[in-house]
Amino acid sequence: MSRLIPLVKGEFDRLNKYNLFTANFVVLLLWVGLAWFFEGEELKMFLPAVFLLDATMMTMLMVAATLFYEKQEHTLNSIMVSPVSEDEYLLSKIIVNIINSLISVFFISAAVYFIKDVTYDYLKLVPAVIVVTVVHTLFGIRLSYYAKNFTSMLVNFIVYVFLFLFPSLFALLDIIGPEMARFLIILPPEASRILITTIVQEVEPWKLLFGYGYLLSLSFIFYRFIVKPKFNDFLMRETGV
Amino acid sequence: MIKVRNLKFKYPKNKEYTINGIDFEIEDGEVFGFLGPSASGKTTTQKILIKLLKNFEGEIEYYGKPLASYGDDFYQDIGVSFEMPISFSKLTAMENLEFFKRLYQRTVDVEPLLKRLGLWEDRDKKAGEYSKGMKIRLNFIRALINNPKMLFLDEPTNGLDPANARIMKDMIREFKEQGGTVFLTSHIMSDVDELCDRVAFIADGKLREINSPRNLKIKYGRRMVKVEYREGGRLITREFSMEEIKTQAFFDLLKEKDIETIHSGETTLEEIFIKVTGVALRE
Ligand SMILES: Nc1ncnc2c1ncn2[C@@H]1O[C@H](COP(=O)(O)OP(=O)(O)OP(=O)(O)O)[C@@H](O)[C@H]1O
Ligand SMILES: [Mg+2]
Repeated sequence: MSRLIPLVKGEFDRLNKYNLFTANFVVLLLWVGLAWFFEGEELKMFLPAVFLLDATMMTMLMVAATLFYEKQEHTLNSIMVSPVSEDEYLLSKIIVNIINSLISVFFISAAVYFIKDVTYDYLKLVPAVIVVTVVHTLFGIRLSYYAKNFTSMLVNFIVYVFLFLFPSLFALLDIIGPEMARFLIILPPEASRILITTIVQEVEPWKLLFGYGYLLSLSFIFYRFIVKPKFNDFLMRETGV
Repeated sequence: MIKVRNLKFKYPKNKEYTINGIDFEIEDGEVFGFLGPSASGKTTTQKILIKLLKNFEGEIEYYGKPLASYGDDFYQDIGVSFEMPISFSKLTAMENLEFFKRLYQRTVDVEPLLKRLGLWEDRDKKAGEYSKGMKIRLNFIRALINNPKMLFLDEPTNGLDPANARIMKDMIREFKEQGGTVFLTSHIMSDVDELCDRVAFIADGKLREINSPRNLKIKYGRRMVKVEYREGGRLITREFSMEEIKTQAFFDLLKEKDIETIHSGETTLEEIFIKVTGVALRE
């Protein structure tokens, strides 16, 4: 596990050099800019949506983008003929994305505090964001496995967004009724939304418990039965090298 | 150090075996050349030996133990150079090497390597801005970064100018002289002739020959001497068997005629390659 630190550090160097950090930062600025136009209760509804989008969509896009580069430049093969294990490699992706999500949390929270003097329960936000990021990092890796190229990865990504994320957003904006919304918790983005919404509104304890348990189990199952076993196939796909 | 028994491999999508039952051994401290026409499975074999392709049939032993029994520490001891350029394009050569260095327990100072291969001046240039030959030299340094005991080199000199190819070959020879073992694939027969202790030829998934270049040349060559000389303005060619060159007729010819060339019937690895694999070299 001693190789986790160089892997994580290397990944951050590259996020920087490949301008993915900048891209992420521009999106954060955009959110802060939008937050400017909201006040009071509206802002309190808007912020969870921002954290949700960052921990789900941004996470998936970022991990897919780094995998895409590593695959395209064949550096993934070069890493895998070093003593780095598959677990270390995959874990480093998860850690990097957790750190990235926490940077977003910190940046946006600081911005709305200074601009709007808004605070919320950070102790509830941080664990929620971590769990949501972990599961979506794994989703992002899984989407990359099955994508033939960057375009098809984006298509898969958009399908995921439509299938799962939009119903949750509708619920968030009160477009579908509470009767329907209750069942949405089995959708990972909805479970994610519920965990993150706790920062601004009361959530029934069973939902919280279910949400954490569900997303953690999902992460474990995804890692153990999909992401890890299929890693070597992904590594070996495409001719060459 | 490596023993391969009845190795077979089929890519999941393909119907036919790419490697169809091959056997060979690589001794400690030798340079083992793996030759064959394009698409014959050289790179595939290398990927199997370095544990990237896992679903093979047959047995592979590394120092007496099955390859599969080795964990990731296997990679502490080997260095791999792939047939295509591999580096993070937006990182400089030095940043690339620094990153990979941190993944190993034991590492070497890259400065002398970069200097020797003429990349020191350009060490702070982005790898993506390197020329093809520069990228290949960087690949080679990447392979040496952990001071490996064994090197797997997939066409290491392909795409290099003669001067740099010379340097790389010298480095490979020095690696061997210091006790290293090398598995090397190549299309460039002069390199193979110069570097390899033994070579194996693969074609259609099977090994056609394994032997030292010298033995192969004797086996496939003709044991004779060809003499060309001028007589009355005409060029005449005569061949003598190894028995005939002991005769007076041969000495008389050398003494009396205007000899232009004398060739032995030893064949080249190129010709052996074509004969053994049944495929002409492209270059
Ligand atoms: N990932 C893959 N999936 C399916 N088939 C593959 C894959 N990689 C290689 N092959 C096939 O296996 C065969 C051997 O390929 P390989 O790359 O081992 O050849 P090679 O001897 O190294 O050739 P070259 O000299 O051109 O590098 C080829 O027919 C190739 O099409
Ligand atoms: Mg090849």
